[in-house]
Amino acid sequence: MLQGFEGLNPSELVVPYLVAGVLFIFSLGGLSSQETARKGNWLGIIGMVIAVVATLLHKDVGITEWLVGSMVIGCVIGAVLATRVVMTGMPQLVAILHSFVGLAAVLVGIATHVNPKEGENLLPIEHTIHHVEVWLGVAIGAITFTGSVIAWAKLRGSLSGKPLLLPGRHLLNAVITLLILGGMVVYNAGTLAPEDQLLLLVGQSVLSGLLGIHLVMAIGGADMPVVVSLLNSYSGWAAAAAGFMLGNDLLIVTGALVGSSGAILSYIMCEAMNRSIWNVVFGGFGTGDSKGPSGPAAGPQGDITESSAQQVQERLADAKRVIIVPGYGMAVARAQHLVNDLTRLLTDGGCEVRYAIHPVAGRLPGHMNVLLAEAGVPYDIVLEMEEINDDFPETDVVLVIGANDIVNPGAQTDTNSPIYGMPVCEVWKAGVVVVLKRGMGAGYAGVANPLFFHDNTWMLFGDARESIQSLVGELKG
Amino acid sequence: MRVGIPTEVHPGERRVAATPDTVTKLIKMGFEVSVQAGAGQGAHLEDVAFEAAGATLVSDADALWASADLIIKIRAPETCPDTGVQETDRLREGGWLICLLQPATNGPLVERLAARKSTVVALDQVPRISRAQKMDVLSSMANIAGYRAVIEAANNFGGFFAGQITAAGRTRPAQVMVIGAGVAGLAAIAAARGLGAEVRAFDVRLAAKEQVESLGARFLELEFESDETGETKGGYAKIMSKEFIDAEMALFKQQAAEVDIIITTALIPGKQAPVLITEEMVEILKSGSVVVDLAAEQGGNCAYTEPDRKIEVSGVTIIGYTDLTSRLATHASQLFGTNLFNLMSDMCGEDPGTLVIDMEDEVVRKALIVKDGIVTWPPPPDPETALARAPTDEAPKPVTPPPGDASIKAKTSKDPSRWPGIIGLLAAVGMVWLGMQDGASDFVQHLTVFVLSCIVGWQVIWNVKPALHTPLMSVTNAISGIIVVGGLLQVGSIKAASVSEEMHSLAVVLGAIAILVASINIAGGFLVTHRMLAMFRK
Repeated sequence: MLQGFEGLNPSELVVPYLVAGVLFIFSLGGLSSQETARKGNWLGIIGMVIAVVATLLHKDVGITEWLVGSMVIGCVIGAVLATRVVMTGMPQLVAILHSFVGLAAVLVGIATHVNPKEGENLLPIEHTIHHVEVWLGVAIGAITFTGSVIAWAKLRGSLSGKPLLLPGRHLLNAVITLLILGGMVVYNAGTLAPEDQLLLLVGQSVLSGLLGIHLVMAIGGADMPVVVSLLNSYSGWAAAAAGFMLGNDLLIVTGALVGSSGAILSYIMCEAMNRSIWNVVFGGFGTGDSKGPSGPAAGPQGDITESSAQQVQERLADAKRVIIVPGYGMAVARAQHLVNDLTRLLTDGGCEVRYAIHPVAGRLPGHMNVLLAEAGVPYDIVLEMEEINDDFPETDVVLVIGANDIVNPGAQTDTNSPIYGMPVCEVWKAGVVVVLKRGMGAGYAGVANPLFFHDNTWMLFGDARESIQSLVGELKG
Repeated sequence: MRVGIPTEVHPGERRVAATPDTVTKLIKMGFEVSVQAGAGQGAHLEDVAFEAAGATLVSDADALWASADLIIKIRAPETCPDTGVQETDRLREGGWLICLLQPATNGPLVERLAARKSTVVALDQVPRISRAQKMDVLSSMANIAGYRAVIEAANNFGGFFAGQITAAGRTRPAQVMVIGAGVAGLAAIAAARGLGAEVRAFDVRLAAKEQVESLGARFLELEFESDETGETKGGYAKIMSKEFIDAEMALFKQQAAEVDIIITTALIPGKQAPVLITEEMVEILKSGSVVVDLAAEQGGNCAYTEPDRKIEVSGVTIIGYTDLTSRLATHASQLFGTNLFNLMSDMCGEDPGTLVIDMEDEVVRKALIVKDGIVTWPPPPDPETALARAPTDEAPKPVTPPPGDASIKAKTSKDPSRWPGIIGLLAAVGMVWLGMQDGASDFVQHLTVFVLSCIVGWQVIWNVKPALHTPLMSVTNAISGIIVVGGLLQVGSIKAASVSEEMHSLAVVLGAIAILVASINIAGGFLVTHRMLAMFRK
């Protein structure tokens, strides 16, 4: 520290915090296009450095070994995680990072409780406001924390993707929520001894944590894009709540930005599946809540056309226009690099190859785009479903790689289908649809796919990676 | 609905708005179709073929217009040159009309049509979006005009297009320059290449380079330092700076000495066509050269161009025909008819054989000129993407805590239009009440910041491309690591008198863990975003 420099007053912190907040807004704004996205990320980094340095200069903050130590260790862990993660593992990383924000919010909340600011002569109403802020901040943080951990485990495959549906689960959620709110009244009443008050706060964080676990356990694998966006939103609200309890505007601004961002993503994902957020969060897909034929047995039956890599290659060699529709299966098989090789081979042969990306393809909003970018596919041939859906009739060959529900024609025709009304890629309008698939199983939604029985659908069974490998081999040879 | 297809009255117009093929399709969709006898003659589509397709033949134009609910034709209504009858007056009160209209320059005509309580859709106003490509008459016609321009040029050129090596010696391939590589320009390049000529092309839009080269032509580039690009949002060209035009002129002058054929297609929407081939350049051109000016109707790209005429100036033939599409009437009618049919099937109502105006449909909204006698052109400008995509029920944020739940509740409630209003009102009342309490002003101020930030976030995030949603999540992960500030304030705090030693150490430990996990987020989030963004390449 400089001689005689006693640190910044809270009022002097306003300027660096304002600058940091504005930089965060520009950072998110920068992500609106690929050209400016990198600059956006740098603006975010600069904003973060300004915010942290300014806080360290706060006159009430002493720089201790605890502080420096935990920060350095945290940064190292984060850097290692970020460098090691494979792009197919992005959903897990994003989920676990959400949980950290939730955990931090819980810890900051409890710490604020045990170590209130000095010399505060609070009026009764200020007391109440502060209590409510701490209480809700801890609750949101805990739900985010455990919910994200469960989402992480499900995405990794440590937990089954199937929804866990306890009997009377809505009642259970309601009871826990009421208990949490009731606890807040007791907490605020001021009749408890300080130790018991702390115990109550810790107890409610455990209860909120259970609520988080239960909520996410009940959500199926196919709804993960929504859950991850929702938790993204929660992590923002948790940060904002921490800002309220600390009276820190920067935290409030940042939390609100992140919260809105997650809310918009959740909204977009729900639109893409034609479902309401309540249905996703409380529904339990394809179960008792949605009546109608469930399970593949009740689905359409008929003859399928099985094909070989050689047949598909011959068809591709003649094709002028090809569209590739990737899904989660491509991510699982880590086939994106081979898909890019295939694209190159076809393009060199004078064929126009483009990609159609459904908004909920994969397990994360924009997941497919990241994977294809990693493989080196130019982003200008990767189109959104809406942009390309009208072009299927003029397309010679469509390759559906590891996708199922997003190409299900039943979503447009079968009013009994649980996914009826969901926008889908209209692949069946193309000359030939080649579906690369491991077997005849249904997609995550558990709905049979009439596409497989269309006359112009060719099934190419096998692991996506091996199938494309042999296609590439055939095309070269 | 009964669809009427009249004979075009414009002199020299040989196209017709439907073919027997599209008539069959229209009937299949539930329409009744009447065709004026002889309507298809110019395009070599016989009356019997229309009759065989299921259309009723009507010999008299007045009877045809009077009987039809919907008239489809090529050109905008005009005064018949032989009888002096205004076509507009033939249109039934409340009738529908679909044709080319150019509403920007045809104000009085639009007024007259509105006076007849009609509903009018202008084919030239169909927006240039991918979904509407199949209805884009302008592109179809430009394609034909580009092709025909080359045929006219070849017809008036005294040599082969392809180079020849014969026993009697060798001829050089024709050198063709195409100015403007839009749909017409590209079609001209393809046709000229097909005849064996060597083609070079120029366009102010650098994006055209790839397309030009893909057709086997050479793209002419300016020796001019600028990042100026001549492309507007709809993919049309715009007016360029003076320096740019000077460099362009120098290029053309140099090219004029080398080429045999020049085909110009440079148009700027709603403006006089720019003069690119000056008198001086025509002097430079070799005798026997041919200039075909596709911009003749808008004043011409060549200084000498006379619309609808072929003239010769110092040995150079300058062709200013404006009826190039009519010179290929059969295929022009076929493409036009198909485009028109696609538009009609897009506008089809629930009942077979009816059209409805869906104001929500971008294509229909843009192309609609008059609806039931009310002029709806020009359409409202595109609202900002953010606003257009934001659902209407997302009024200013509900502010009741917990904020996460409240915002979602507002989005999905059964009656979306009312809930945000009610919640907003309650929240406002609550805030006013709180604001009147002593000591709550800080909270209210924080709440204000919070609400404003939500709105800013909402506006900013809608602009993010879906392709970047994963990087968006990881960057928001990183910045929500800002909660590190909360940890810092705890760990670094000086013990207050009212707090016991153990409690203070507890707070320090909790704060340290919070810093640890938040730092993971900051470093991990930014780094992984950086990694991902580095992968996106064009």
